[in-house]
Amino acid sequence: MKAFLYGVLPYIALTIFIGGTIVRYVYFERNWTTKSSEFLSKRDSQWGNPLFHLGLFMAFGGHFVGVLVPKFVTEMGGTDEHTYHLMSLAGGIPAGILFLGGFLLLLKRRFAGSARLKVNTSVMDRWLYLVLLLALMSGMLATLSNIPGTFDYRETISPWFRSVLMLQPDISLMEGVPAVFQLHMVSWMLLAMLFPFTRLVHCLSVPVEYLFRRDIIYRRK
Amino acid sequence: MKIKAQISMVMNLDKCIGCHTCSITCKNVWTNRQGAEYMYFNNVETKPGIGYPKHWEDQQKWKGGWELKNGKLQLRSGSKPERLLKLFYHPDQPEMDDYYEPWTYDYESLITSKRKKHQPVARPRSLITQKRMEIKWGPNWEDDLADGESVRQDINLKNMAGEITMEFHDLFMKYLPRVCNHCLNPACVAACPSGAIYKREEDGVVLVSQDGCRGWRHCIPACPYKKVYFNWKTNKAEKCVFCFPRLENGLPTVCADSCVGRLRYMGVLLYDMDKVKEAASAPETGDIYQSVLDILLDPHDPAVMEAARKEGIPENWIKAAQDSPVYQLVKEWQIALPLHAEYRTLPMVWYVPPLSPITRRVEADVYLPEVSDMRIPIAYLAELFGAGNTQIVEASLQKLLDMRLLMRCLETGEAIPERLVAEKDTYQKMYRLLAIAKYKDRFKIPAGMQEQSAEKLRELQGSCGYNCPGGC
Repeated sequence: MKAFLYGVLPYIALTIFIGGTIVRYVYFERNWTTKSSEFLSKRDSQWGNPLFHLGLFMAFGGHFVGVLVPKFVTEMGGTDEHTYHLMSLAGGIPAGILFLGGFLLLLKRRFAGSARLKVNTSVMDRWLYLVLLLALMSGMLATLSNIPGTFDYRETISPWFRSVLMLQPDISLMEGVPAVFQLHMVSWMLLAMLFPFTRLVHCLSVPVEYLFRRDIIYRRK
Repeated sequence: MKIKAQISMVMNLDKCIGCHTCSITCKNVWTNRQGAEYMYFNNVETKPGIGYPKHWEDQQKWKGGWELKNGKLQLRSGSKPERLLKLFYHPDQPEMDDYYEPWTYDYESLITSKRKKHQPVARPRSLITQKRMEIKWGPNWEDDLADGESVRQDINLKNMAGEITMEFHDLFMKYLPRVCNHCLNPACVAACPSGAIYKREEDGVVLVSQDGCRGWRHCIPACPYKKVYFNWKTNKAEKCVFCFPRLENGLPTVCADSCVGRLRYMGVLLYDMDKVKEAASAPETGDIYQSVLDILLDPHDPAVMEAARKEGIPENWIKAAQDSPVYQLVKEWQIALPLHAEYRTLPMVWYVPPLSPITRRVEADVYLPEVSDMRIPIAYLAELFGAGNTQIVEASLQKLLDMRLLMRCLETGEAIPERLVAEKDTYQKMYRLLAIAKYKDRFKIPAGMQEQSAEKLRELQGSCGYNCPGGC
């Protein structure tokens, strides 16, 4: 079971994530969209949407440092484990509150707000919200349950994730990881598998080039 | 000088009877499908009125178009970084209720109803929620001043210096058919974060790439005319395409073709692309009209023709520009004016302002009316077509009156008054184009880049299959 969860499933998830995204971009760009629902109802999206995204950016940044940057690098930079843990809590808990709070507001808007939003909510969207909620709750609970810092994910989960990326998965690192962290692992893999089939793809279309382009575009046929 | 060709349209409002044929043909061709039910690429508004969507002209509310900030041209919705922050929530994005909620009727209940004391009725049902709904507003709620209250809220009435009460004895109205203006300086193009909206190089038609659109929806508030729409089904932006498949075959748009009043004209304009920004940045809004006229080039000028050839504009396009009825109405005679030039997008759909019946005050002894005697206040027309500059509108209306005067003199054998500014010949040409308005005079549309594409197509002969036009 462990071997499947941490040695096989990540590769299935990443393959669907990358392959599916490429296929959708190449063959189905016509439906590549943010799927914005602001036109149907502005109610609650004024706060819910920006808060959700702000929390998401903060959480993403935190995960990037915590998972991809090896522990010895931050320690070389003069940050010991205790300081790092405090910093991660100081950033992570507000991020989680914004992220989860924004998400709950958006869920309320979508499922208990304007009846029009039904046309913007597909079956796939419902699955997405379920898995996203799972990932968010498990992540938040994992952070809160680990306030004392008894479990060091940077000795276990982070090196495992990097070993997966290096195509040499070290499953032994995942021995003894608390259940809530394991739930978080499974939920991100599910999320990666859903990614190409949902509105999440819009995160790959951040319009950075807009800042540098000219105002009026002329195009040849 | 970098010359570009633009397909442009003129509407002669003097002849618009508000029959909505243009809207209906357009609707049937382009927006008769789920997600687009509420869209009218072409709609006809009764003015005064708040329009479709509600209050679209109020840029304090929508922040559409451009403004001068410290002398520099900038979108009214803010700088680029400011606008990117609005990706998550756009305060100026219109909602469905600003247009109207599309509906159908339960027609089936008329057939399936049991025998009853009263006639069965087909009740309205929302096309969005599929539930019963109460109709509170529609795409043409104010037709012929139907909603008296909203009519008084017209922002143009508020912006006029004078007091307009819209009391019965001085009521006035006119129709305003609207399509996408295919602007030279389009705000929707500049606002699109994905770069999916563009002007076609060969004819200036503004299009949304349905592949490139990511649904960031910034074009919708940015367009001051609110002529870009959000499709709630595909979650992408859509707009009037100027019937480009027809243009490419030398045919006018369906709205122009089907117009029963024969008031629409289409043709080619040549303009200097390098000076567009400068023209849009005229310090005074009342001067924008003149600065746009200045960048429209004379297609008979040999230097212009030479420069156009150098830019790869085909001979049949240059010929069409020389024959263009739009060039005559806009530049030669200067009777067609831009709608709300103060938005600084340089719209390429032009309007000949309407004459109107004279007011009761002067009814008693009038031989031929003066511009100032007309029911529609000049100041009101100036808000629409002169960016507040009444002289522009007066000059246009005076030419229309002079044309009538001259034609009357020719008919009755009276002496032609001295004060007419233009030649007799010019007025007769105007009369022929405006009043007789033959189909072949109204539309001078060159089939798209014919010379090149015919050659290219011949090269391709036998090289591609059925499923892949153009070869791949």
